[in-house]
Amino acid sequence: MTEKGMRKTGTALAVLGLLGILLVYSLSFFWVATDRLQGVSQRIFYIHVPAAWTCFLAFGIAALLSGIYLWLRDDRLDRGAVCAAEGGMVFGAIMLATGPLWGAIAWNTYWNWEPRLVLTLLLWFIFLGYFMVRASTEDPEKGKRFAAVIAIVGALHIPLIHMSVIWFRDVPQFLHPQPVVAKPEGPTLDGDMLTVLLTSLGAFTMLFLGLFLLRYALETVRTEVEARTRETTA
Amino acid sequence: MSTYLGQMCAIVWKDLLLEARTRERLVSMGSFAVLAAILFNYSIDKTVVQPQDVAAGLIWMTIIFGGLLGVGRTFHLESEDGGLQGVLLSPAPKNAVFLGKTLSNFVLLYAVSFLVVAVFMLFFGMDLGSSPAMLALALALGALGFVALGTLFAAMSSGTRMGETLLPILLFPLLLPMIVFGAGATGRLLAGRPVTEVIGNIRMLAAFAIMAVAAGAVLFRFVVED
Repeated sequence: MTEKGMRKTGTALAVLGLLGILLVYSLSFFWVATDRLQGVSQRIFYIHVPAAWTCFLAFGIAALLSGIYLWLRDDRLDRGAVCAAEGGMVFGAIMLATGPLWGAIAWNTYWNWEPRLVLTLLLWFIFLGYFMVRASTEDPEKGKRFAAVIAIVGALHIPLIHMSVIWFRDVPQFLHPQPVVAKPEGPTLDGDMLTVLLTSLGAFTMLFLGLFLLRYALETVRTEVEARTRETTA
Repeated sequence: MSTYLGQMCAIVWKDLLLEARTRERLVSMGSFAVLAAILFNYSIDKTVVQPQDVAAGLIWMTIIFGGLLGVGRTFHLESEDGGLQGVLLSPAPKNAVFLGKTLSNFVLLYAVSFLVVAVFMLFFGMDLGSSPAMLALALALGALGFVALGTLFAAMSSGTRMGETLLPILLFPLLLPMIVFGAGATGRLLAGRPVTEVIGNIRMLAAFAIMAVAAGAVLFRFVVED
């Protein structure tokens, strides 16, 4: 895809995603029924879960592309990894902001040491390090390699961190809700709720892909500008 | 194989010899440990909690922070006058350099961790608990995993503008297994619980150490290549 095509597709996807999110808002506030047990606070679920899904998707893509980058050393892979990781940071921030808001009502506390919470927070910080290393390395090639190594080491340690937070039985008073859709016996979510959730998942994923393409196009242009500046100065 | 070991040992020997002559890192890490323990004593209100109850966690946090001081300086001396370039240009494979560096850091940190435990025993009037050998093993595995990750990230952070300030941000998220299983095992051992209760923790600490060393040995060459 050319850089221009990427920009067009990116804009289209991002606009579609944003419209989709507007639709999700109206559906979740005016159409879908209120949860019998959790009340109105449950509606944040339609934002929190898709944000979490998009965040993990983005970080997964970033780690995967980083690994292949170290192998093939193609700049496009590194650019893809950065753009995905940035998306992961944004959607991760949405997930980490909406979670405590829900917890404040449902658990009566903003934070507890439930494994899933700790793991995602640490993952977010691993990728914060990813960006800090890039930003503070003078030689961009070196920064790319460093960042890729961080993404891989992080990905390798995630299972171990996961095991240790589970092992550390703090026995939080409330556990993170279990999956209600991706289960072997099929979704147990109410039909209307499932419709809103899947709409939201689609909208978030589209928004992420749109932002990813726009960001990638920007990064391509930036690399070219840098290369031309170097040519003129040299 | 024997050349590989020889090259690795040469790095270890070089680092330890330098340390024996300058004593820079050992002195800073050692005094940090003692001073931290003194401050810890006054940070605990003994009408609320007994130092013995929180000693295990404090021991491990002291080792982590003290270790950070030492590990951050791993490549400091060599970054001057292109010393690191010399080491990397030598026929030794990159992972031998990494393992050598890790091993010499390990010797230093393990020595310091014994000092930390000794200081806590002394200051807070504690004994070594149900199994000193198991305690030593837990400390060894924790320290090994820590220095392996620390050496990898120190090579990285010494190549950035931020330098050692970057180290905790990169390192701490990955240290969770070390602190959970290490402090867990230490706490139980110090409380006199039977060894069988900590076998699981020790196994997980070993997994953490193996993972850290392997990841470092494989990825180190991407950090130092030029």
